[in-house]
Amino acid sequence: MRSADLTPVARDVMKLPASVGLVFASLVAAYLFSVLPWSGRWLLARPDLVLLVLVFWTLHEPRSVGQGIAFAMGLLVDVGDSMLLGEHAFAYVLAVYGAQVLRVRILSFRLGEQTLHVLGLFIVSACATLLLNLLLGEDFPGFAFFVSPVLTALAWAPVSWVLYSSAVRRRREDAR
Amino acid sequence: MIREPPAFFHRGPSPLARLTFFTLAAIAVMIADHRFRALDAVRLSLSVLAHPIEELAAMPAQALGRAADFFTTQDQLLRENRELRAKVLEHAAQAQEALLLRAEEEHLLGMAAGRSRYADKGLIAEVLYTARNPFTRKIVVDKGLTNGIQAGMPVIDGAGVVGQVTSVGTFTSEVTLVTEKGQSVPVMLVRNGLRAIAVGAGKDGAIDIPFMPASADVQDGDLFVTSGIDGTYPPGLTVAKVASVEKNAAYMFARIVARPAAGVDNHRYVLMLPLAPAPPRPETREEEARKPASRANPRPRREGAAGALR
Repeated sequence: MRSADLTPVARDVMKLPASVGLVFASLVAAYLFSVLPWSGRWLLARPDLVLLVLVFWTLHEPRSVGQGIAFAMGLLVDVGDSMLLGEHAFAYVLAVYGAQVLRVRILSFRLGEQTLHVLGLFIVSACATLLLNLLLGEDFPGFAFFVSPVLTALAWAPVSWVLYSSAVRRRREDAR
Repeated sequence: MIREPPAFFHRGPSPLARLTFFTLAAIAVMIADHRFRALDAVRLSLSVLAHPIEELAAMPAQALGRAADFFTTQDQLLRENRELRAKVLEHAAQAQEALLLRAEEEHLLGMAAGRSRYADKGLIAEVLYTARNPFTRKIVVDKGLTNGIQAGMPVIDGAGVVGQVTSVGTFTSEVTLVTEKGQSVPVMLVRNGLRAIAVGAGKDGAIDIPFMPASADVQDGDLFVTSGIDGTYPPGLTVAKVASVEKNAAYMFARIVARPAAGVDNHRYVLMLPLAPAPPRPETREEEARKPASRANPRPRREGAAGALR
């Protein structure tokens, strides 16, 4: 950030918050996507939309979505994926923390650069899951494991466009 | 750079403090779940919460399956029917023999009826999906607590042992496959009665038979069946077929790799067998239990607690 530049970093400082219903519905939809009957190689490459949506709302609605909701969603995903309780919770909390710290920075970029930033967050989160499982004595599932964070990051632009435009549409309707 | 907000904008603890708190919470949850299995109730209630969403997610695949069933040709059905009839006839003789053998067994061993070592009746379950965990080999079936499923029940298909129930939900349960790393089944070689332990290799379609001396009489194509000495698996169920035996004088043990007999990764229906009846308790325990009966209020003994934790 240059000191002489006085244009606001976030162009939507004075915006209305997105509705709780939209946040909730997007999380449910992401969970629905993650519990589709994935198996085999598809399972390894499955994009983690729950994490994506959590990071999106952490960036855009930092007052309503944060580490607490990430923790709760992580526990739910752990149950759905029959993993050790707390694995996803830890991975999600880590990524959401990164999003909170880098929030102003990420939001000052356009979608393309944002994708690179969230890719970093997703890889950190995937590495945390991998390390935990290696510590527990599981085998390395292969490098296809890292396809999932890349696919998740690729989904960043479309998903955040959809969520952002629906949040904005609601704001316009409310303004009338 | 992140600046601290002024005091009047404060929004509770800083992100780093929150991260520390939630990380510690996650570690506590993991330890409680891994070491003590203390969170099964939490898991159960969360799974009930997520059940409608999972049902919804399973719908497209189920609809596809049903559509595929609908378009099966009559020719295919007729052929399958013929094959199945032939199989029924083949098995009929064996089934009648088995009845006789069981009667003899009960007579010879003086057992009460229904206490046979061999599996009696099972519950047919449909495989819903592979567990969505890239680190383990598990399947989820559509029978749970409401159907009387217990953790530890063996699960078989038409060809052999598929695995064991390791976690029971309200409407579904998880079956750990025999190929899962560290999942072990006590087995016996059919040809010569050699006892061994079959341990999943953690790879699809591979089972290890560790700790077999290099001099052991094991050959390619040998069949391993459950020996039944663990009291979990009834004896005589096919587990694996030896695929390769490597004997190297440099090592004490032979390296034996076997393939699972059951279609561990590709079956739609499985049979869940009841847990074998618990072996009779040692005499001393019985006497101990009888002695303090004179006390006013003996504490109830928690039978089966060990079995539930398995």
